[in-house]
Amino acid sequence: MQPHLKRAFIILVLVIIGFLFVRSFIVPESFGQYGWYRGDSVAELRDIPVGYAGSASCSGINNECHKTTYSIWVDSRHKTVNCETCHGPSEKHVIDTRVMPEPANDTREFCGLCHFKRAARPADFPQIDPETHGENLKCAYCHNPHKPWFL
Amino acid sequence: MAVENLVWGYIYPNEIEIQWSVLIVLYPYITGLVAGAFIASSLYHVFGKREIKPVARFALLTALSFLLVATMPLLTHLGHPERGIEIMFTPHLTSAMSGFGYIYSFYLIVVVLEIWLSFREDIVKNALKCKGWKKQMYSALALYSYDISGKALHDDEKLAKKLAIIGIPSAAFLHGYVGFIFGGIKANPWWSTPLMPIIFLMSAIVSGIALLILLYIAASKLRKKVLNYETLFSLAHYLWVFLILDVALELLEIISMKYESLEEIEIIDRLLSEKIATTFYGVQLTMGIFIPFVLLILVMVMKNREQLKTLMIAVSSIFVVIGVFAMRWNVVIGGQEISKSLSGTNTYVPVFFSQEGVLPAIIILTIPFIILLVLTYILPPWKDMDEDID
Repeated sequence: MQPHLKRAFIILVLVIIGFLFVRSFIVPESFGQYGWYRGDSVAELRDIPVGYAGSASCSGINNECHKTTYSIWVDSRHKTVNCETCHGPSEKHVIDTRVMPEPANDTREFCGLCHFKRAARPADFPQIDPETHGENLKCAYCHNPHKPWFL
Repeated sequence: MAVENLVWGYIYPNEIEIQWSVLIVLYPYITGLVAGAFIASSLYHVFGKREIKPVARFALLTALSFLLVATMPLLTHLGHPERGIEIMFTPHLTSAMSGFGYIYSFYLIVVVLEIWLSFREDIVKNALKCKGWKKQMYSALALYSYDISGKALHDDEKLAKKLAIIGIPSAAFLHGYVGFIFGGIKANPWWSTPLMPIIFLMSAIVSGIALLILLYIAASKLRKKVLNYETLFSLAHYLWVFLILDVALELLEIISMKYESLEEIEIIDRLLSEKIATTFYGVQLTMGIFIPFVLLILVMVMKNREQLKTLMIAVSSIFVVIGVFAMRWNVVIGGQEISKSLSGTNTYVPVFFSQEGVLPAIIILTIPFIILLVLTYILPPWKDMDEDID
């Protein structure tokens, strides 16, 4: 073989070895342990601190802290929307009531995530056109988010 | 425009947003140009068509310029380009896409080696002749081995021919496989056909040859040199031949769909008669195939009048390049405008300034020409064009 071809061949082999070398330490060791993902990620995800406490921790079986609001909400059309959907993750507040959760998100855009008119939504789902409905006021100005038809 | 006006009939909620934008139209378009330019160059390197020799090495550089940006539309579309390499580190073999990294890399190696071998004589001569940083660059490109004896060049040529022989199926595979990705999507009646890889391949060859013709004419005009008409007419002839194969396959697909009239035919009819009527019948078939087809026949039967024939070939090539882009558009966008429910359609509205927009697409399509400019500065292929064909 000509010397220049030999050199080109060596470079090619080096590139391939380089690829395999880089691959050997970039691909995590636990990859493929359970499936097409990093096996260690299961333990890592498990160890992430819990942020959400669940609606049942606001009132009901365990305590009666937010009894009134809870009893209104639990019969409302919004009963499938958890407390923390609007009020934010509250695990810390449940553990220590002195730690207050973030104020509830009451912007028009936030309500609009579900209620702005979209062609892909079922026709009988309550939807509004934000341009024409509500004069740009916050939704909670008229609607009670804990009982939406309670104007 | 309100989203309701873009929708007709019943579509599924997750179809309201068209996910594969103009960037995904660009991806098969660019890989097609690569495959086409490479196959045009192999007409000389493998099949020994001497009339193609003036553009054979230029075609290789064109193929490399476009190959280097072939991944860009995908990386821009997906975001996080640093993760792109993971498709090669941990390819999930149940996905057709997982092979892309390997096929692309293999083809890149073949093209680079092929270019290196066919330019090695010039590289070595430059390394011996130039001074300063240029000498360093050319010496490095020559791998510090300066043997350009008759035997060494003969060995290079033999190896280059072998590589080109491997290169043709690789080029066909690279692009046929892009077609396979679409053809293998069984849920979409507009894509799901085993003909797709071969349709993609034929249109790739057509667009690659047309692009080569345009670049050859442009390069000659810019350098103020006369065109080699034998080369130009020969390229035009190949363009015409592949155009016939391309249109035969494209129409075969539509005709068999019509004749079989499976349950999806109503939505396909609607797609063809309303959604993509202009880009399909107007741009893809009439402008991209029929007009060039007639013009190229005229070029072949006309005697003398080289100027007019050159103009006709240039116009045909521009139309073909646009027509093939329309074909990619009709496949990628058309396929997403019909609902999987087969009873509704959506409309794609391109945006200009956004990651998925027209602006990045234009930028990505400009880059290969800049790369080509740099490449032809380092490795000028012009000598071939100025020599007489022996």
